[in-house]
Amino acid sequence: MIWQFIAAQSPSPTPAPTVPGAGIFSTSLLLSITVWVPVVVAIAIATMPNPRGRYDALIKQIAFFTNLGLLFVLGIAYNQFQSFLPTLQYEEKVTWLQSVGAVYHLGVDGPGMTMLLLSGGIGIVSVLASLGVRERVRSYFCLLLLAQASVNGAIVARDMFVLILFWGASAVPLALLVLGWGGQRRHQATWRLLGYWGVGTAALILGTMVLYSAAGGASFDMDVLLKATLSPRVQLAVGSLMVVAAATRLPLFPLHGWARDVYSEAPVGVTVIVAGSASRLGAYLLLRTLVAAEPVAAHLLAPLLAALAALTVGYGALVAMRHHDIRQASAYLALIPGGVTVLALAALQPISIAGAVLSLFAGGLAAALIVSVCATLSERAQSRSLHVLAGLAPRMPILTWLMVLAGLAVLGVPLLATFTSNLLTFFGSFKTQPIGAFAVAAGLALGAIALASLWRRVLFSAPNPDAPGVSDASLGETWYLGLLAGGLLWVGLFPSGPKLPGTDSPLFDQGLVNVLSAGISDIASPYVLPTPGPGQ
Amino acid sequence: MKYLVLLPEALVVAAAVFVLMSGRLGWLSPGARRSLPALVALVTLVALGIELWAGATLATYFEGGLVQDRFALFAKAAVLLAATIAFVVVDWTAEDSLTIGLAMPLLAVFGVMVAASAGDLVALWAGLEVAAAAAVVMVALRRPDLALRLLVTGGVASGLLLIGLAFLYASAGTSSLSMLRVDFLGGAPTIALAIPVFLVMSGLAARAALAPFQLASIPASLGASPLGAGLVLGLVAAAAATVAIKLVGALAPIPAVYSTYLEVIAAFAMVAGGAAALASHSPRVRLAYLATGQIGWVAAGLVTHYRSGLAGSLFLLGAFVVAATCGPAVMGRAEGGEQALAGMGVLRPGRAAGLSLAMLSLAGAPPLAGFFGEFAVAASLAQSGHFALLTLGVFGTALSLAAVAGTMRVMYIQSPPDEARRTTRLPVLTGLSSFGAVAFCVVIAVYGIFSSPILGLADQGAEALGLK
Repeated sequence: MIWQFIAAQSPSPTPAPTVPGAGIFSTSLLLSITVWVPVVVAIAIATMPNPRGRYDALIKQIAFFTNLGLLFVLGIAYNQFQSFLPTLQYEEKVTWLQSVGAVYHLGVDGPGMTMLLLSGGIGIVSVLASLGVRERVRSYFCLLLLAQASVNGAIVARDMFVLILFWGASAVPLALLVLGWGGQRRHQATWRLLGYWGVGTAALILGTMVLYSAAGGASFDMDVLLKATLSPRVQLAVGSLMVVAAATRLPLFPLHGWARDVYSEAPVGVTVIVAGSASRLGAYLLLRTLVAAEPVAAHLLAPLLAALAALTVGYGALVAMRHHDIRQASAYLALIPGGVTVLALAALQPISIAGAVLSLFAGGLAAALIVSVCATLSERAQSRSLHVLAGLAPRMPILTWLMVLAGLAVLGVPLLATFTSNLLTFFGSFKTQPIGAFAVAAGLALGAIALASLWRRVLFSAPNPDAPGVSDASLGETWYLGLLAGGLLWVGLFPSGPKLPGTDSPLFDQGLVNVLSAGISDIASPYVLPTPGPGQ
Repeated sequence: MKYLVLLPEALVVAAAVFVLMSGRLGWLSPGARRSLPALVALVTLVALGIELWAGATLATYFEGGLVQDRFALFAKAAVLLAATIAFVVVDWTAEDSLTIGLAMPLLAVFGVMVAASAGDLVALWAGLEVAAAAAVVMVALRRPDLALRLLVTGGVASGLLLIGLAFLYASAGTSSLSMLRVDFLGGAPTIALAIPVFLVMSGLAARAALAPFQLASIPASLGASPLGAGLVLGLVAAAAATVAIKLVGALAPIPAVYSTYLEVIAAFAMVAGGAAALASHSPRVRLAYLATGQIGWVAAGLVTHYRSGLAGSLFLLGAFVVAATCGPAVMGRAEGGEQALAGMGVLRPGRAAGLSLAMLSLAGAPPLAGFFGEFAVAASLAQSGHFALLTLGVFGTALSLAAVAGTMRVMYIQSPPDEARRTTRLPVLTGLSSFGAVAFCVVIAVYGIFSSPILGLADQGAEALGLK
């Protein structure tokens, strides 16, 4: 009787909510699949016979279905992801270069899973945006798959050697894609991309080596390097190098020199992948190697980061206002989400760090949408000049809607994913970086003016009678732009995931905000004041 | 079993002599001549197999003149692999002489093998000179003027080396490398020791085409046939680097006598190699300067005077010798500007892939063999606190990568011109050379993929030199 009473009073473990699809896919190689399957498919495409482009359509289908398959795998991984667990998941660890201490170590926590989802979504959008490629189709899709693989590799890397490997490798296929299929100024765009990203990679290598040396020179594993106790001087040196690496990739003012040329000259599919996922790696690097690992350096460099964020947002908005080329204007507008992400990191508050992770996802989608919609619009209107493009709204209703949505996403208005991330960012940053937060907010206001001016001129002014003929987005273009817009709306409407009515069970997924929480507490722990104990 | 280890050397020398004699005396029918490259490649492949199988035996020969250890095993296996692929992949219609073209690389390989297993200063010097002499002969077939230049510069380098080695012998009272090391243990760095080491390193730098000593080696490689260029850029430089690694192993107790000088040479080579590669528009010139940049990384690993640094250098040397020897052979007769390679990606996909991988590996692009080697060296530089050198090396690598992107653009993105307007013919397609191109790609990729066991063997090689 007593035992029954005790048993009835004892708390029993709450069963985990049943997630539809849970447990149907279980492999320890999940992350390796996301990295190496695109590589294997790229090699297969490169070696398959394709006389006179006979199998170009097949190559496009292979690339599409590879990405679809990867997205499916990622979807299941996302569904099975253990939210609120502050440890790595889907971890893989194999000894590699033992003598230098490099390990093939992959793993994801909440931020990593969020980035991986972004990369998967962007991958399929970039393939859809590239279906119109006619020249050297085999080479194009090989390089595109290799670029996706390297971005995925950089996201899941848990060893600095592996990170450098994929971080550096991502520049080569992307540069070749710009060089081979870009616009008239593609040479300049490529060299700028290689130059800036080369400097960033060099800074990353040097920062890693300083870290490696200071941590005893025994291992490149992030579990060792990023948890080593370092002197403030070393932390500052490492942190500064990581800021340079991140600023070239994201990009941040004044290391943004490649962005205008690449976003305006690259083919749309490549622009999507660069703006959407490859460039977000910069902020992801800051999160991993500065905010989560070097608390002293993060505190010291936070004002600098906030200043860089404000300068980036303000500069992007101002230059976009002055430009007469719609693709270049969109390139500068695409800098804005990155600036907001960095402000969130500079705030060093748990809430803003959560905002930064969500901003990686939402900002990536917003940047990809604004550059791709402007690229599509300029192609459909046969002109990039804002002196020619005028009054297109009645003749391009789909692109008009998408362009307005893209602008609103850049600004972070309610109902879109960027709203949630901006809200979390400003809640945190007005507390610790008020000047920076105010400057970024002012920059966003300037961005709103730039966008309003752009919409008024391009979409809602009187039509230009001398302009060449225009046509609205095709079905394919609507699909890929719609997917980006849909992603922004989905997360904006259901950041915590839609639930079955009347229950706590998730309808389709567990919500991005829940997933990114896994690991955030671990990252934010140095910035949370210790709770006083009962005796204090 | 003990003397089985020397069988690879014997096979290589015998093949060289046979090929030379058959060319001179006309022993071979035209059909046999056609299959001679495949036959010689088979011989070097067999030698490689024997080396890998029996080379693990630790032994000394000729009263310590030659030593078989892990270092010798690694270095010999690397050059045999490079030579095998080079013989298979080269476009023989672009070569000046079949028999000399086969015999001289074999002799150069023999020279590197002797240097790699040298137990004393004499064998070190002799191995290097054999390799260098073979290079002069190869260059002389096409450009006697450049061969003369190479001979004179090489003579000066050899003189510096000999004087330096003689002084070292006089200082220590022994020519044995192991005894030299014992003598220097606990010794202090003196001017009397620093000067001969300076002379030795200068001579080796000239032989390895390290900037600023590339007065003859790089022009000679540009004037030579493709295989000759590979011999000068790859095998001779590898011979010089092998000698340098062995000497650094002996001098490691007193690193102050060489490390500053090596540091300057390495820094200059890495940065100037990358910058010169970027400034150049000729693929052959670009390849030569990429090789200079990477041999600079090999030298940088020696600066650390730690086992991990020497292991990184040795690992990188293996990647370097394969890429630098086979790179020009894969490229074929692409003299002149970049346009010589226009459309190669479409017309000769296997060779274009091979050339791309060779150049990317020499530039240190991830995830190829050169990247892993440079990263291992970089890690050891970080461990030893040489951050300035590391920064310059990373900068040089970035320049090299930008240079390679230019060549890849021409090969893959530029449309091929009409054959009538092409100034230089692309390499002739044969079954053997196509197979060789694919094999080369596989080797460069596999070297990176299996970098862990290979780096482990290189580490054992560095340990064999007495480094802890």
